[in-house]
Amino acid sequence: MMSVLKGKKKSNIIKDWRQQPKSIEKFQFVHHFLPHPEEKRRATLLSNRAVIVYCVAMLLIAGIFRILPKIVPGVLGYASDIAVKDLLTYTNVKRKEAGLSELRLNSALTSAAHQKAEDMFKDQYWAHISPDGTEPWDFILGQNYDYIYAGENLAKNFNNSRDVVEAWMKSSSHKENLLSPNYDEIGFAVVNGVMEGYETTLVVQMFGRPRNAAQVASVYEEQTVLQKESSATAAVSEREPEAEGVPEAVSEPVYTPVAPEKPAIDVTTATKTVSAVFGGFVGTLLALDVWYSKTRGIHKFTGHTAAHLGILILVVASIWFVLTPGIVL
Amino acid sequence: MKDKSDTHLVEYAVLATLAVIISLLFYYFRYNHGVLIFLSGVSSLAYIIWGVLHHALEGRLTKFIAAEYIVFGTLVFFLMYTVLNF
Repeated sequence: MMSVLKGKKKSNIIKDWRQQPKSIEKFQFVHHFLPHPEEKRRATLLSNRAVIVYCVAMLLIAGIFRILPKIVPGVLGYASDIAVKDLLTYTNVKRKEAGLSELRLNSALTSAAHQKAEDMFKDQYWAHISPDGTEPWDFILGQNYDYIYAGENLAKNFNNSRDVVEAWMKSSSHKENLLSPNYDEIGFAVVNGVMEGYETTLVVQMFGRPRNAAQVASVYEEQTVLQKESSATAAVSEREPEAEGVPEAVSEPVYTPVAPEKPAIDVTTATKTVSAVFGGFVGTLLALDVWYSKTRGIHKFTGHTAAHLGILILVVASIWFVLTPGIVL
Repeated sequence: MKDKSDTHLVEYAVLATLAVIISLLFYYFRYNHGVLIFLSGVSSLAYIIWGVLHHALEGRLTKFIAAEYIVFGTLVFFLMYTVLNF
């Protein structure tokens, strides 16, 4: 008896559905992901309202990535694998390609670069001139490096050495320094620390031509500096206060033999993942829309799904394969 | 009918050309985030304009379709901006 009633109810419900398919379809879960044949529109999760929600969600996530370092410094950061040896090699390759002489790694310029990087972390600035007015030349002269010409390039948040040099080459003023025939020597500092709450790596490149040509670094000096740099990764450390009467400029830079700290969350990977997840999700729904509409012969009153999909694929591909982190100054 | 498909072809060719130009500019300026944010804005705007003009020329432009291109253009911009902002 019960089964007969149930059967009757079921058949009535099916009858109602057949009479009003549009109203039933609205509640079908599958149409969150697939187009609505009756209403001739896209999946609910592709509606204009849903896309606005994705935009707001991405803004909120970007906001969290901005606020989090202020609350918990050092959690977010930029993972990097930059080495002085590679920076020197890439720099000299670019110079050789331009028909210029190779630059020799100088210990005084290297020390000056280290002091500059540490000063930037200590006073939390990102500039050629410090907030107290200290110029790059002050660091160089502080190492008793008497120069005719000198220059400075800065970089931060980069992942690798090649990108640092490529970024300098893409900027006319930095390229001018890198390919200047006025320089004979170079110094690098690759220093890890926390800048504005983000764990990052600062790269300082200092160029010079000594007043006395005989002072140009020897191959032995270059090898010594390279050895020192490769055996002890420089890191920002708490420095002992300078003794009174000893000028800070002539003090030795601090080389702390510790491995570079990796941030708990790499900002570059995190932001790329967020964009790829949202872009990939919407892209997948668009692809489903194209396929389902074609197989079911659904003609919707909407914009061109294939055009949206094409643009989205291009954007996600650009994010993963073209965009690189890092700023030069 | 032939004329209409020819017009479509031209419009899609314009979109494809824009996409190629913007991709090349993106690659060239890949180390300059300021320029890339600007390019993202320009490309999103170009896509919105293309969509609106395309549907207007087809004679099927509605407020809903215009809004759709605006929200998709905005989504594309935010996808890029989220990465470029850091």
